[in-house]
Amino acid sequence: MAGQNQRLNVVPTVTMLGVMKARLIGATRGHALLKKKSDALTVQFRAILKKIVAAKESMGETMRASSFSLAEAKYVAGDGVRHVVLQSVRAASVRVRSHQENVAGVKLPKFSHFVDPAAASGGPSNASPSLTGLARGGQQVAACRAAHVKAIEVLVELASLQTSFLTLDEAIKTTNRRVNALENVVKPRIENTISYIKGELDELEREDFFRLKKIQGYKKREIERQMINAKLFAEEQLAEDLALKRGISVGAAANLLVAGGEKDDDIIF
Amino acid sequence: MYGWEMLSFNIHDGFLEAIVRGNRSGLLTAADYNNLCQCETLDDIKMHLTATEYGPYLQNEPSPLHTTTIVEKCTLKLVDEYKHMLCQANEPLSTFLQYITYGHMIDNVVLIVTGTLHERDVNELLEKCHPLGMFDSIASLAVAQNMRELYRLVLVDTPLAPYFSECITSEDLDDMNIEIMRNTLYKAYLEDFYKFCQKLGGATAEIMCDLLSFEADRRAVNITINSIGTELTRDDRRKLYSNFGLLYPYGHEELAVCEDVDQVRGAMEKYPPYQSIFSRISYGESQMLDKAFYEEEVRRLCLSFEQQFHYAVFFAYIRLREQEIRNLMWISECVAQNQKNRVHDSVVFIF
Repeated sequence: MAGQNQRLNVVPTVTMLGVMKARLIGATRGHALLKKKSDALTVQFRAILKKIVAAKESMGETMRASSFSLAEAKYVAGDGVRHVVLQSVRAASVRVRSHQENVAGVKLPKFSHFVDPAAASGGPSNASPSLTGLARGGQQVAACRAAHVKAIEVLVELASLQTSFLTLDEAIKTTNRRVNALENVVKPRIENTISYIKGELDELEREDFFRLKKIQGYKKREIERQMINAKLFAEEQLAEDLALKRGISVGAAANLLVAGGEKDDDIIF
Repeated sequence: MYGWEMLSFNIHDGFLEAIVRGNRSGLLTAADYNNLCQCETLDDIKMHLTATEYGPYLQNEPSPLHTTTIVEKCTLKLVDEYKHMLCQANEPLSTFLQYITYGHMIDNVVLIVTGTLHERDVNELLEKCHPLGMFDSIASLAVAQNMRELYRLVLVDTPLAPYFSECITSEDLDDMNIEIMRNTLYKAYLEDFYKFCQKLGGATAEIMCDLLSFEADRRAVNITINSIGTELTRDDRRKLYSNFGLLYPYGHEELAVCEDVDQVRGAMEKYPPYQSIFSRISYGESQMLDKAFYEEEVRRLCLSFEQQFHYAVFFAYIRLREQEIRNLMWISECVAQNQKNRVHDSVVFIF
């Protein structure tokens, strides 16, 4: 993976390590949450899919029934009945209302249909459907109207489901992308960074250790040298003491010779 | 005049009667319907129809065929035949033939008026009118804003003028009134037609009065059933019934107070001709009633061909053609919508 070789550009310090560890915990928690959200959305998605399939099946049935009821109405009331009905319509009585539903933080648009009471009962325009085809086919026209209202209901439901389906699909894709990004990019990068920092810190530690060891060795050597010197000095001292006891110090004698040879101004040779 | 018309009938109307009887043999038979019911696509239907009298009208239709096209073309044939007969007709047969179209004329007037009220384009509306009900000044109907103007400006020149005298009282045009206006006009038209036929006398009067009575009774029953549960009051309902027919006047009194289908049935079962219709449909069901009425109507129309030297054959022929177009529409709809098991539900065989 490309992500595995990457790491964040940070100074390898203990503070940074702490920060990185905190970020890793955050990323893990975010990943778990997003995963849960994605699961919830998927559950919803499946449910909607199932509903869509059912709605589509019933839509085929309902649409067939409604268009056939139109044929029935035309048979009984004559071909001209559709013009009569069309001309007497002023405003639509069945309206669609849209609202939002919140599923796991995703806003799904929902449509619901309702009968506009002003258009349905208020004006005289809608008194006519009940009287259309008074002399022949009134019942068929009414049945046709009922069948089409039912078809509209199914259509509205289907539209609502389809829209939520698309929205949910998009949301699930985004969430999954985020989950994957966290899992495969962010987390490995942070982990790499942490291991890098740890490696660097170890390296530093080892260097320190080595340096300490070096210093220790140097010190040891120094001490040894001093010890040797001290020993030498002590031996000398001892020899001197012996010489003193004998009367002359070896050194002093030598010194005497040297001193006598160099510093006696009285001797003029 | 009864019995004597055969002396003079053929002087004026013999040719046309021959034509209409010739046309009658062009109506689709049960065998044709059986073939049509077997069709799988609309093109098959077209192919079958090409072998019938509809052939020339459907011949040049391009292949993706619609039900509406078939119905349109079949109607065109009917209109052509009607116009041909009207051109050849003498008085009083020409008047009689014109009477037949007044029903469509009323529908067209109502359609235009409704469309005008909702501010639709008149030319668009004219295309939707039934071709049998067209008259010259129909386009100018759109100028009218209320009933009085409508009458004064346009309708006074049309044959519909006398029928408007009844509903001229309602000043404003709105949708409720229009539907009632349509039925009031139709009632007046039926009564006028009835009177006209009685005036003609002879076999025409005998047969036509029977047919028109049936038509009036059917309308009365349909209006009753369709107005159950609506805001139409009993008195208004009573006013829409035509003042003749088998049900007039006592049956109308009973129908006017009916509140459900079973009461209608109870009222109708007292009349032997309708007993058979109502006995065929089960209790509480009114869906099959229309078909039962159509069948009865077709039976009566066919019977009118059994007599000679009368005008009812023209009426019967036009009506049978209309029924045939309905049948064709039903079959094509069933075929187009893949509902072939329903084909036989509403097809009324003629002959």
